[in-house]
Amino acid sequence: MKKMNLINTLFVGVALSCLLPTTSQAETNSEMESLREEVRELKEMLLKQAKQTKSEVKSIQKDIKKIKPSQAFNEGDSRFKLAGYASLGYTEQEMSDGRFDTVQFSPIIQYSYKDKVFFVSELEYKIEADGSTTTALEYATTNVILNDNATLVVGKFLSPLGNFRQNIHPSWINKLASAPVGFGHDQAAPIADVGVQLRGGFDVGNIKTTYAAYMANGPELELNGAGDEIEAIESAGFTRDVDGEKVYGGRITILPFDNFEWGVSGAYGAVGLANESDRSYRAFGSDFSYKWKNLDLRGELIKQHVGALDSSVAPEKSTWTASYLQAAYNIPKTKYETVIRYSDLNSPHPDADQDQVALGVNYLFSANIIAKLSYELNNGLLNTATDSDRYMFQVSYGF
Amino acid sequence: MKKILMRTIFLAVTLSMLSTSPSFAEEKKTGDFVNGAKVWANTCNRCHNVRDPKEFSDSQWEMIMLHMRDRAGLTGEDTRDILKFLQNSN
Repeated sequence: MKKMNLINTLFVGVALSCLLPTTSQAETNSEMESLREEVRELKEMLLKQAKQTKSEVKSIQKDIKKIKPSQAFNEGDSRFKLAGYASLGYTEQEMSDGRFDTVQFSPIIQYSYKDKVFFVSELEYKIEADGSTTTALEYATTNVILNDNATLVVGKFLSPLGNFRQNIHPSWINKLASAPVGFGHDQAAPIADVGVQLRGGFDVGNIKTTYAAYMANGPELELNGAGDEIEAIESAGFTRDVDGEKVYGGRITILPFDNFEWGVSGAYGAVGLANESDRSYRAFGSDFSYKWKNLDLRGELIKQHVGALDSSVAPEKSTWTASYLQAAYNIPKTKYETVIRYSDLNSPHPDADQDQVALGVNYLFSANIIAKLSYELNNGLLNTATDSDRYMFQVSYGF
Repeated sequence: MKKILMRTIFLAVTLSMLSTSPSFAEEKKTGDFVNGAKVWANTCNRCHNVRDPKEFSDSQWEMIMLHMRDRAGLTGEDTRDILKFLQNSN
């Protein structure tokens, strides 16, 4: 009996001992499955986080890209910006040796208060032949934006008469290395004036128009060496008013269709020499520009007239007239541009009269960096600079 | 007499414009991108080669457009539209 019990006990014991490992394996399998699930979840979570991090990094990189150093101090109601242009040039003219004759830097300083008041000024630094540096305040105005159609401009402004002097003269804009004859300083086209100006634009139906009306001190007269003729009209922009009379003028433009502009300018008032009576002053101008595909056409006529005055040391009336016509063609799919311009100046003095055909080839490094090679065929008084052909090389950078 | 009359008329016109000037506190109006692109294409290249919108930041374009508004005789609306186009394209 005892023996039987022992055998039974042994059998149950062996059976139990066999059962025990079976139960442990199942638990292990279950745990393993659970662990696998957890690993899967963790993997998914990690992938999710990696995706999110990647997206966040991209977003931050985008934001960083947007932030430029200048913005750090430009944000706010009052803002500042420096713009301008610079040019370097070489000229070789008949009857003289070639020389690097142009080193010019014209910074334009801009301040604004909100989008209501804007101050802008252009300085000109230029190295002269003797190595000295001349500095000029080309213009300095405070512009108060009155409404969508009018801005009040106060200070020294570029003359609104015509288009070349106020908009095209910067070297990175002008497509030739020189200004058209008659459009330089103290020639037929007024340069600047000091006073007050109202300017802006209107839409008349589908037609755009612009206007500028001004009241200013006006130009001055310069006598020749002998003191008996008016040599030139100076319009550098004076804070004095020798004749005591203001000059009134303006310009209206109309844009009847895309890429075409036609402008008409006029001014009247008085000019005079010191200690003399006033004499009449009139100016008239007309200009156009047209852009068609790669072709750029523009032209302008400007005229200034000073009336006679019997009691003057220089009694004769005087008229200066200048005009130009220019075509520029950007060769498709290249950075090259060809230019041809005819310009003409008629003045009271034969030694100043000139007409010119200028040819140019330009290379555009970018829209604002241009290398210009120009050749001028000049026709003026024999054996003078106005009759000497010349070629010019210029590099201009607008910034 | 004539010159006094002329000065008076000029100043009167200027003052009348001032009276229509909106308050400085007025909320900024936003521009129209599509019209901005059109006006930009038709206006800027009348004088100079067009500049790449990417050349300047939003803030710099604001200053540039204030200057160009004066130079090109743009209306306020066209100025805002061009600005919108430039700022959305840089």
